[in-house]
Amino acid sequence: MNTLIVSPSPHVHGKESTRKIMGDVIIALLPAVLVSIWFFGLSAIHLVCVSVLACVVFEYFIQKVLMKKRSTVGDLSAVVTGVLLALNLPVCSPWWLILIGAFVAIGIAKMSFGGLGQNLFNPALVARVVLLVSFPVLMTGTAFHAPETGYLFGNSDLASAALDATSGATPLGFVKEQLAKGVSMQEIMATPGLSYTQLLFANMGGSAGELSAVALILGFIYLLCRRVIKPWISLSILATVFVFAGILYLGDSSKYVDPVFHVLNGGLLLGAFFMATDYVTSPMTAKGQVIFGIGIGVITVLIRTFGAYPEGVSFAILIMNATVPLLNKFQPKRFAEEAQKK
Amino acid sequence: MAIKSSLRNMVLVLTLVCLGASAAVAVIYSVTKDPIAAAATAKTNKAIEEVVPAFDNNPSEEVLNIAADLQKPDETNKVYVAKKGGEVVGYAVESTTKKGFGGPFTIMVGFTPDGTVYNTSVLSHSETPGLGAKITDKSSHFITQWNGKNLTDGSVNLSVKKDGGDIDAITASTISSRAFCDAMEIAANVFSNITSENK
Amino acid sequence: MSKFKYLIDGIVKNNPTFVLVLGMCPTLATTTSAVNGMGMGLATMAVLLCSNMVISLLAPVIPNKVRIPCYIVVIAAFVTVVQLVMQAYTPGLYETLGIFIPLIVVNCIVLGRAEAFANKHSVLESALDGLGIGIGFTLALTCIGLVREVLGNLSAFENKFSSSDGMLVFVLAPGAFLVLGYLMVLFNKLKDRKKKA
Repeated sequence: MNTLIVSPSPHVHGKESTRKIMGDVIIALLPAVLVSIWFFGLSAIHLVCVSVLACVVFEYFIQKVLMKKRSTVGDLSAVVTGVLLALNLPVCSPWWLILIGAFVAIGIAKMSFGGLGQNLFNPALVARVVLLVSFPVLMTGTAFHAPETGYLFGNSDLASAALDATSGATPLGFVKEQLAKGVSMQEIMATPGLSYTQLLFANMGGSAGELSAVALILGFIYLLCRRVIKPWISLSILATVFVFAGILYLGDSSKYVDPVFHVLNGGLLLGAFFMATDYVTSPMTAKGQVIFGIGIGVITVLIRTFGAYPEGVSFAILIMNATVPLLNKFQPKRFAEEAQKK
Repeated sequence: MAIKSSLRNMVLVLTLVCLGASAAVAVIYSVTKDPIAAAATAKTNKAIEEVVPAFDNNPSEEVLNIAADLQKPDETNKVYVAKKGGEVVGYAVESTTKKGFGGPFTIMVGFTPDGTVYNTSVLSHSETPGLGAKITDKSSHFITQWNGKNLTDGSVNLSVKKDGGDIDAITASTISSRAFCDAMEIAANVFSNITSENK
Repeated sequence: MSKFKYLIDGIVKNNPTFVLVLGMCPTLATTTSAVNGMGMGLATMAVLLCSNMVISLLAPVIPNKVRIPCYIVVIAAFVTVVQLVMQAYTPGLYETLGIFIPLIVVNCIVLGRAEAFANKHSVLESALDGLGIGIGFTLALTCIGLVREVLGNLSAFENKFSSSDGMLVFVLAPGAFLVLGYLMVLFNKLKDRKKKA
């Protein structure tokens, strides 16, 4: 890079480097994918395959047929979106739900804004939120108390049977309900299937990607080692959630969820490690990234604690996505400083 | 083309325009007054017909104003009395809850004289379409489960099963379901106050 | 015949929703179904037609400095008339549209046409313009409402063609923005293609 190009975020330098980064992200997501396949078997494989395939096909089709341009499917970004989308959906999602999600992610959230690098919001998250608002019963009614074997390919009878059996209880939703009834946190944690060890390794609740905190942490460490992402966003999100939830918990431990549960549960780790750190939709400077992370943390806890939905990570990240241009404007990147580091 | 903007002209024109406009509105008001009243009565009557057994009087003319909470006698609910052959066959109680997901909503609950629910009907609501708005689905289990339940003898715990009550909630709409139970409880209180007053 | 152009202009070239992007508040808020959108469009059209005619009649005698208050009084009177009539004869629709009927008073389409068109043109031309813009608005609202209803509720003009729920997001507020945006793109693309041909 001899010529100095001054341009606003995002900076995608070329096909090769994008491809390399995306490849690393896919590798980092593998542990989480493998854990969900380990527990849910065929249905998890089905979910990931349909999602990735649909994202790639939609991207190719829109670029080739509608925009009549050279397709950029080769940069693997559609694959990453597909994997992230799959990890954000319940394992027993029917095929049409995945297709709608892929279409929203690629068609609406990415291509309508001008493709990779132009999108304001994280495509996989937009898809998740659209589906969550559209099909709340399907999206929150996931198998909570551990189906031992996976549902077979798109077998909706089995899936709906499981839905009836567990009717809308992700661990967070379950805890929120119990707290509303006046059951204390200690008593709730005694419920079979809800322990911190289980949260760490396999908690069986929520979306495919929320199964195991350890798998997600492994992926995060890989990304850090490969220097694909900097830790500021993720760490500031986790710290904020922990501190904010901790203050509430210390204030009245009978009414609020304890901070460890908050951090280990739901999509927080997935969101903090893989969704919030998306290059295109996060601020460029370290200071901007910390502000971004704190915002996500605060909004997440607010929604989880006081909102109508049990989970708020995806909403929080999308809301903060919208502030990124502003954060970049107030925190312009210092070119000299960046150059020296290199 | 417009005339000069002198004070006299401006005052004159504005006054005339306002007079003309109010005259037009007044005429239309007097013309539509009766149809509007008729439409409102028709709506109430239709709701009453739905929730109580067949009657032959005009319940809109036999309205009682009863408080749900005797400590607060100012906050009254409308109760329409349905009679057949001079004998009371049912009471239609209007009840508003403030606990709805999208704001307050109002329902009409029909009781037979012994305190059993005959039928219910939603008068106005702003619940989420497709979720809480299912309270308007008359054939759903959530609505039909109330019919035939006696709310005044204490045999029914008026809260959703999640909260330890006897009522099946609408899937994914616990808040609307809770609000509906709240409205039913208000209606039940109003009903027990009528009977105690009119004994 | 040339006067006829005013009518067509209001529907295509000056379409209030897709080209002028006016009156967004009722457009987004009332189009949860095709019938609601159409009802809102027709109510606005009635007000627009009457106010355009009356204002073009009155324009020569209204002093310039008080023209806006005069227009608003005229518009408000017609809105009240429409409101009373709807309340009497279509109480169901009146209840669904609720606050948005009185809010037609502040719909910028109505005052905009009075200020930009009616006070400079004859009664007939103003009537045609009001009708054209009104039809354009009604068509746009009906289209948005129809798309939202079909996707969000799996029904068209209140005839349900599937018993399951649709994509709720389209019935809720975000869906209004999405549908409006994509229909606007489509409308302008078709319009440009026609111009080139």
